[in-house]
Amino acid sequence: MSISPEYVLQVENLNAEYNGNRALVVEQLGLREKELMGVVGANGAGKSTLVGAILNWSRGAAKVSGRVWLDGEDISSLSTPERVKRGLLLIPESQLIFHNMSVADNLAHHATSKVDGRHIYSLDDVYDLFPNLALRRDNMGWQLSGGERQMLGIARALRMAPRVLLLDEPSIGLAPKLVSAVLETVRQLADNGLTVLLIEQNVHAAIEVVDSMALLDQGHVLAKGSVDEMRGDPRIAEAYLGGEAS
Amino acid sequence: MKPLRMLSWPLMALLLLLSPTLFGGSSALYSVCTTIAIFAVMAYGLDLIVSDLGEVSLAHPVFFAVGAYTAAIASTRYGLGPIETLVLSIIVVLGVVGFIAFVTLRLHSFIFSLVTYAVTVVAMTLASNWAFLGGSDGIPGIPAFEVFGYRAVNEAQLWPIAWGLLLVTLILVVAFRRSKMGYAAMTVHLNPALARSSGISPERIRMQVFLASAPITASAGWLYAYQRAYVSADILSPYFLILMLTAVVLVGRRYILAPLAGIAIILFQERFLSYGAYVDRIILGSVLVLVLSFLPGGLVGLFRDLNRRIGRSRQPHAESQTLKT
Amino acid sequence: MNFLQHVINGLVIGHGYALIAIGWTVLLGVARLVNFGHGQMYMLGAFVTWFSMSSLGLSYWVALPIAVLVGALVGFIMQRIMLNLTIRQDLVSVMIATLGFGYILEGVAALTFGSTGQILDTPLSLRDVYWGDLWFTWQDIAVVLVTIAFFIALKLVVEHSSVGRRVRMVAEDPKLALLAGINVKWVYLGVFCFEGAAVALAAGMVAPRTPILTSMGFDEVIITFVVVVLGGIGSVTGSYLAGLGIGIFTAFFGAYVSAAYSTAAMFVLLIALLVLRPNGMTQSMARH
Repeated sequence: MSISPEYVLQVENLNAEYNGNRALVVEQLGLREKELMGVVGANGAGKSTLVGAILNWSRGAAKVSGRVWLDGEDISSLSTPERVKRGLLLIPESQLIFHNMSVADNLAHHATSKVDGRHIYSLDDVYDLFPNLALRRDNMGWQLSGGERQMLGIARALRMAPRVLLLDEPSIGLAPKLVSAVLETVRQLADNGLTVLLIEQNVHAAIEVVDSMALLDQGHVLAKGSVDEMRGDPRIAEAYLGGEAS
Repeated sequence: MKPLRMLSWPLMALLLLLSPTLFGGSSALYSVCTTIAIFAVMAYGLDLIVSDLGEVSLAHPVFFAVGAYTAAIASTRYGLGPIETLVLSIIVVLGVVGFIAFVTLRLHSFIFSLVTYAVTVVAMTLASNWAFLGGSDGIPGIPAFEVFGYRAVNEAQLWPIAWGLLLVTLILVVAFRRSKMGYAAMTVHLNPALARSSGISPERIRMQVFLASAPITASAGWLYAYQRAYVSADILSPYFLILMLTAVVLVGRRYILAPLAGIAIILFQERFLSYGAYVDRIILGSVLVLVLSFLPGGLVGLFRDLNRRIGRSRQPHAESQTLKT
Repeated sequence: MNFLQHVINGLVIGHGYALIAIGWTVLLGVARLVNFGHGQMYMLGAFVTWFSMSSLGLSYWVALPIAVLVGALVGFIMQRIMLNLTIRQDLVSVMIATLGFGYILEGVAALTFGSTGQILDTPLSLRDVYWGDLWFTWQDIAVVLVTIAFFIALKLVVEHSSVGRRVRMVAEDPKLALLAGINVKWVYLGVFCFEGAAVALAAGMVAPRTPILTSMGFDEVIITFVVVVLGGIGSVTGSYLAGLGIGIFTAFFGAYVSAAYSTAAMFVLLIALLVLRPNGMTQSMARH
C-alpha cells in the first residue's frame, strides 16, 4: 500500500491501544479534497479513537502506531502541535473550549500568516458564520449553552486555518433543531472548500449532509463508500436503528 | 522458588551479621555497617509512604529526630534505659504523626507534601533555638547502650543491635506488604477511585500507613543517638531527607532489599569515593534527580531494560513503528 | 520603634514576600509543578548578585540582571531534565526531583561561594532615609517599587498578550492547548525560566536586608508556600495581597513576640487556616 495523490488525508495501518487493549485497527482510509466523510458506528466502536489517532492525541494514554499522510507528506512522526500547524484540526467531543476564557479570548488564538492554500478565517468571518457568538463575545466559556459551545469549538478551529477538519460527535447533547443547524453549517463549510471528517453517532442526521461514509465496529472499518452506496447497505440500516435512540 | 527462599533468608541474615567480622573486623568497618543499618531502617519507614502509598512525605526527618532527641533527653536527664527510651520515642512520634495526620487529613497530595516539608523546617527552627532541646549545642553525653547487662561500648558491640533492628524492620515491612493495610495502600496508590468504591477511605489509609511508618524511622533515630552519643539540630539537615529519598528510588521500587542496597551504595561512595563534602552533596542530589528523570525503574529497571534490548537485538523485529507525541 | 515603623517594615517585607512567591505560584498555576528547590534558587540569586559585585567588581545594576539570567538558565535546565515527568504529570517524582535540584544547588553554591555568611550591600541599601521618626533605606523603596511594577507588568502580560493567552490555555487544559497548536513543552520550559528569573530578581532586591548564607533558603519556601496558599494558587493579585498581609504579620510578630520564631508562627497560622478551610486551594492560573 502506498500513498495515493487523490487523497488529502490518508492513513495506513492506523492502530491504537489502551493498556494493551486494541481499540483501533484501520488498514486504510482516505479523504479526498472537499469531501465530507461521515464515520458512524455504535458507542465504543473506536470513532473518537480514530480522529485522536490521526493527530496522535488522546486524553487517555493511547499508544498509536501506523502512518498518516497529509497532502502527500508523511506526518507520522510529527507531534500533535506540528500536525495542527499543518492544518489538521480536531474538535473533540467534550471539553472543546476553554471555559475560563471569554468567547473573544477563545477566538483570539489564530493561525499566523503564511499558510499556503488554506483560508484563514478572520474574526469577522467567524462572527458572520455564527451570529450567536458575536452576541456573546464577552461571555465566559462556562456561561455558554451546549450549542454555543459547539459553535465556538468549530469557530476556534476555523481560526486555525484548517486543511482538514475533524469533528468528534458535534451533535452530542444538542436538541434536534440545533443538531441540524450545526450539521448544516458543516455542510456549508465543506461546500466552501473544506475537507471534513465527521464522527457521528446520529446516523440519521449525518446521512443528510455527508458525501461518503465509513462504518466502524470494534475498531475496524466494516464498510465504506459514497453516501448513496451506503444508504443501501444493510449494516448501515442496523446502525440506523442504533442511531435512532439519539 | 519459595522453599529455597525460606532456607536462604535466615542464612543471609546470619551472613550479614558476620560480614564485618569476616571482612577484617576493624572498628571503622563495624561503624560503617552500623550506620548503613540505621540509615536503612530510616529509609524503610519512608519507603512505605513513597513506594506503597505513592505520596511524598518530607516529614520523616522529623520522625528520625524525634527518635534521637527522645533517646537523648530521656537517657541523659531522666536516666532511662534503651528499651524505655525506645518505647517513649515511639509514643512521642505517634503523637507527632497524629497531629500531622489530623491537620492534613483532607488535603490534596501536594499541599500535604508542602505541609510535611514545613513541619521539618519548623522542627529545625525549634531544635536550633529551644533550650529544652539543647539549642544550637544539642544534647551531649548520651550513655552507652546497655540492656540486660549487655553493654555496647564500641562499634563492634553496637553492630548486633543495629543488625537486629534492621531484621525486625525487614520483617515488619514484609508483613505490612502482605497485610490488608498494605494491599489497601497499593490500591489507593494505583487507583484512588477504585479504592473509594471498594469502601477504602484514602485519607484513613494515609493516616494508618503514617502511623505504621513513623515509628520505624523513629527507631532508627533512637539507635543513631546511641551510636553518636550526642544529638544536635544538624540531625534535621536536608542530608537525611535526600539520603532517604535517593535510597528509596535508586535501586527500584518495592523490592524488599532496595532501600538497604540504596543506602549501602550511597554510603560506600561517601566513605570510599568521596570528593569532599560539597561535591558529595552534588553527587547525591544528581543521582536522585537523574534516577527520577530517566530511570523510573531504578537500577533494577535499567538492567531489565538492557537485558530486554540485548534479547531483542538477537531477533528480527517486526514491530510497527510507534509514534511520538 | 513606633507603630508606624512596624507598618513600614511590614509593607517592605510584604512586597518582598510577594515578589519571592510570584514565580512559584505562576509555575504551580500553569504547570501544576511544586518546586522545592525554590529556596535554593533564591539563595543562588542572592549569591550571584553578591559575587558579581564583590569578586567581579561589577556594579549592582549589572549584577542584578546577571543574577536574573542565571536564575532563568537554572530554571530552564531543571525543567529540561524533568520534562518527561512534567508531561506525564508525575507530580510525586517532580516534587522529589526539585528537592534534589535544590540540594545540588546548595552544594554548588557552597563549593563556589564558601559557607560563611556574607553581607550583600548595594548602593541603595547603604543609603538611609529618615522621615520624621521613621527610618528605611532606598533599597526598601526599590523593593516596593520594583514589586509593584513587576506585578502590574505580569498582570498585563497574562491578561492581554498572546503569550499570556497561550499560558492561560495551557494552565486550564494542556491537552486542548495541544489541539490549538500550542507547543506545551515550550510553555512549561518558559514558565520554569520565569520562576527562576523572578526568584533571582527577588533575591537581588530583598537579600540585602540580612546576611546571606548558602544554607539559607528553607525559610523562603515556607513563606512562599504560605503566601501562595493564602493568596490562591496562580493568582497574581492574590499573591500580592497575601504577601503584604504576611509581611505585616511578620513585622509585628517579630517586633512584639519573637523574631526567631516568626516563620514558625506563620506556619502555625497557615495550619489553622488549612484545618478550618481545607478546600480553599483549587484555583488555577486561568482564574488569575
